[in-house]
Amino acid sequence: MIFNRDKSGEPQAAQPKPAQPQTAQPQPAALKPDQTAKPAEPLRPAITTSQTPTKAGANMASVISKALKITGELESTEDIQIDGQIEGDVRGVGVKIGQNAKVKGTVYGDDVELAGTVEGKIEAKKVLISGTARMTGDIWHQDIKVESGAYINGSLKPELGKSDAKQAPKPATATTSSNVSSLTGTTGAPHH
Amino acid sequence: MLTLTRKSEVQHPEGRTMQTEAEAPPSLLGPGVGIQGVLEIDGELVISGVVKGRIAALKLVIAPGGYVEGDIVAREVVISGRLNGRIFAPTVSIAASAEVEGRIFHTSVSVERGARVNGRMPWRPVSYFDTLDQLPENRE
Repeated sequence: MIFNRDKSGEPQAAQPKPAQPQTAQPQPAALKPDQTAKPAEPLRPAITTSQTPTKAGANMASVISKALKITGELESTEDIQIDGQIEGDVRGVGVKIGQNAKVKGTVYGDDVELAGTVEGKIEAKKVLISGTARMTGDIWHQDIKVESGAYINGSLKPELGKSDAKQAPKPATATTSSNVSSLTGTTGAPHH
Repeated sequence: MLTLTRKSEVQHPEGRTMQTEAEAPPSLLGPGVGIQGVLEIDGELVISGVVKGRIAALKLVIAPGGYVEGDIVAREVVISGRLNGRIFAPTVSIAASAEVEGRIFHTSVSVERGARVNGRMPWRPVSYFDTLDQLPENRE
């Protein structure tokens, strides 16, 4: 929601702080959220507040790039693309696990697309296992599609949601306004 | 642990990045994302969500609305959001919208007018960060 600001052209509108003289604000780059000059980004010497919204403003989806390794728990109330490595549980809504991605742990979600590797478990209403996927562990689902070429070592269990205990714990999707509380509230959620 | 010195020379004199750097887009953690644990990235990480735990990155950006609780080791840190923890980075930029609580170990730091910074800012030579490939838990 923060990043939507640069589309409206007034990046400071939602800022709770009193108005401050931000000399860096009227940068031309901030007005072009569609700009995809990502390769040039890391060397830009000028560090400004408006630089960040530029990059993320184009697509709101969260991306765990292949260079990122996470050890711990991840939860998201928005769609997420995973291309890196995660050791731990993932709780999301729409979760796309890319070809080079590797997840060790349970993936919870509404809609999970797997093209990479999961060692653990998937609990999702809708599951798509593409041909490049490598799944070791059980898949709890309501609806599943498996493409030719996929490696699955585990059971497919269509009982997701039939018993209340197995229902994937979903983070609150209705109000994503306060992202800070989303983690604090549910980190210790018990499972298996 | 990832060595932060590996690609420290990303800025070529003529202003072009190395290929390896160009290939990897930054990781984005949106406002709805919360992570508890250790994050290691050999590249850039932009946080608009909540992260509780250690972060090691080449460049870390805490965007407006982002919140990090824990220690950060990076070559460059840009903060527009909130941080509660230590920073170990040669280059640190704190924007006006930032709220920082904790020590900032730096060689070069900039704080924009309006930023809330509560904590010491110890200066260290660049060599201190070159040898720093993981968090000095007990070092000051």
